[in-house]
Amino acid sequence: MASVIERPVSRRRLLQLMGGAAAVGTLAACGGKSSGGGGGQLKIIGAGSQEAGLRKALEEYKAKNADFDYNLSFSPADQLQTALRAQLAAGNAPDLHAVYPGNGSAMSMVQLSKANLLADLSDQAWTQKIPSGFKGAFQQDGKTRIFSPGTSVLGVIYNKKAFATAGVQPPTTWSELLTVCETLKKKGIVPLALGAQTPWVTQLINYALVPGTVYAKQPDFDDKMAAGSATFAGSGWADAMNKYLELQKRGFFNDNPNGTTYEQATSMVGTGKAAMVVQVSAVLQAYREAAPSPDDIGMFPLPATDNVADNWIPGGIVVGIAVSAKSKKADQGRKFIEFCGRPDVVNAWAEAVACVPLYSDGEAKVDPVLKPFLPFLADNKAVPFMDQRWPNAEVQPTHFAVVQELLGGKTTVDGALKKMDEAYRKRA
Amino acid sequence: MTAVMSPPVTPVPPPVRRVGRRGGIAPPWLFAAPALLVYALVMLYPSIVGAGSAFTDWSGVGEQRSFVGLANFKQLLHDDQALGALRNTLFLTVAIVVVQNGLGLLLALGVHTTIKSRMVLRVIFFAPVVVSPVMVSFLWKYVYNPAPDAGLNAALNAVGLGSLRQDWLGNPSLAIWSVAFTVIWQCAGYSMVIFLAGLEGVPQELHESAMVDGAGTVARFRHITWPLLAPAVTINVMLSTVGGLTLFTQIIAMTNGGPGYATDTLSTVLYKQAFVFGKFGYSTAVALVLAIFVAAVSFIQIGYLRSRETAA
Repeated sequence: MASVIERPVSRRRLLQLMGGAAAVGTLAACGGKSSGGGGGQLKIIGAGSQEAGLRKALEEYKAKNADFDYNLSFSPADQLQTALRAQLAAGNAPDLHAVYPGNGSAMSMVQLSKANLLADLSDQAWTQKIPSGFKGAFQQDGKTRIFSPGTSVLGVIYNKKAFATAGVQPPTTWSELLTVCETLKKKGIVPLALGAQTPWVTQLINYALVPGTVYAKQPDFDDKMAAGSATFAGSGWADAMNKYLELQKRGFFNDNPNGTTYEQATSMVGTGKAAMVVQVSAVLQAYREAAPSPDDIGMFPLPATDNVADNWIPGGIVVGIAVSAKSKKADQGRKFIEFCGRPDVVNAWAEAVACVPLYSDGEAKVDPVLKPFLPFLADNKAVPFMDQRWPNAEVQPTHFAVVQELLGGKTTVDGALKKMDEAYRKRA
Repeated sequence: MTAVMSPPVTPVPPPVRRVGRRGGIAPPWLFAAPALLVYALVMLYPSIVGAGSAFTDWSGVGEQRSFVGLANFKQLLHDDQALGALRNTLFLTVAIVVVQNGLGLLLALGVHTTIKSRMVLRVIFFAPVVVSPVMVSFLWKYVYNPAPDAGLNAALNAVGLGSLRQDWLGNPSLAIWSVAFTVIWQCAGYSMVIFLAGLEGVPQELHESAMVDGAGTVARFRHITWPLLAPAVTINVMLSTVGGLTLFTQIIAMTNGGPGYATDTLSTVLYKQAFVFGKFGYSTAVALVLAIFVAAVSFIQIGYLRSRETAA
């Protein structure tokens, strides 16, 4: 120590020391690329729509494994693709995180699997029970990469009291739907709430219509799109978008849907100011909480055509959870996922988020409001959510934007579908 | 006694001080080295490495990436969304620079008086500046609620102007104006403070002598105040231009670039390309072009405004 003090410090030496200290400080600040949480905790980021089910599974697992500890947080749908992706890019992803099934989004199973970011779960027993029609949502190159508790359906969530006030029943054809809307409107009730300022909400009406206008006639439409022998513009998508606009032109939406958020639309239906909203069953709980009584809320399939046989439904695997391939606690995460795949846990999770369980062991309890959808699933008249087969992450946001433009009168159906076709043809 | 003769003292010349270009004493540049080193490590190095991504097709995650040369830049020239965003960016920048600084100047002139409440008014006008832009955006999103019984629409109803109710953020033709207004509302106080500092430096004697010569308020502002405010104008115009060209937070929080693409700016486009579309390489190309564009505009602007200051 003394020698250092007594040694005359040259200007160069001083600068060397200061520079070195700065570099060390900076490098220290840049470090800490731990892929796991601190203190032995498993760091988990889930999708907001799955909160009830995931929380339930974690609490049950912890009750059976006293040394298990976790740090859980949730992201709304719009932030999953940004905040979580930024963490993945920076190499500090959580040990377990939400992943969208199939393809079509920057946070989808296919996109992340291609980047080798998801651990392989193929050796777990539950993966053998994935229905063959849904394997594409879970697997990339034959390897299972995510766990999801089951299938969510998309249809009309409605306020039963508003229907009773107007004296109407759930419709089974497109014409009946228009009549119901007209009756509700005459009673001073907004027929359909639409919170199109929230981007992901914009897609739902089209998703509910195209199983009837596209897939009932062309079940292999996705394959034809992939092969380049079909386009959005030359398909029943145009019919669906025209129907979307018809609902707007006839005044069946709330005023200013582009300025209305998902939360505002939820409140409108819960309070009975609006009678219906097109939504996924995974958000049923939010509508039940917004209503005076949970029993006020029901659900039925949106009829896309006047031919009942053509009225298929959209039913897709709900957002799942995966183990980060770079996690230092990957084994711990995989054990938890294996636990989630047990029939009793699948059922409990599915019940908590109002979805149909991934597989049935004979004891599965399905939310009663989903019963009108079960015959469609049994008859193979359910189509996975369309984006799950789109080839890149640009088609879906383009769909959001063109629907807002359509509602704002800034484009036509042809112009909107042309943009979607352009986005579809871009490289993956 | 032997006289002790001291050796002749050689006169030591005083140390030569280096003289800077402007006549002052130039400090040794090495004093800046630690700061420069930190700057190089945390800014330059990541920026240069990041800029390299502009020439690849990297998705932003994983290790896979290929060199694609100038393909991302060529794509940018034909990207309708990016070109639309450029138009929006320029519109917002011009609106913000002109209105924010005009309003800031008026506010500064208003509170640079002897009225008793001037200090309170200064605080009130400056208060929005210290609030987080995200908070301000959510506040105004509430104000812009399209329901007839909420926010601004309710206020218009209350004063008998219900016919002026609008879908402030949902109407593609109106949304960009609503965003611009929010930014101006928040930042006008910032411009005011800088102008106020400039006004404090204008000698009162000049005004008094001009008054003796019969100059009115407008003439004194035009010939005395305005020329002497040139440095404040330079700072305000520079800051608001850079702020306008890189506007991001308020757009993402209020409209997410919508409805459709109506309020997308270059900053929101590069963000979406990176984190929503998974095209980090292309996003970096957009970022690089934006950085060069901002630097070029700033360089030209500062050259012009500095010459104006000298003339003043």
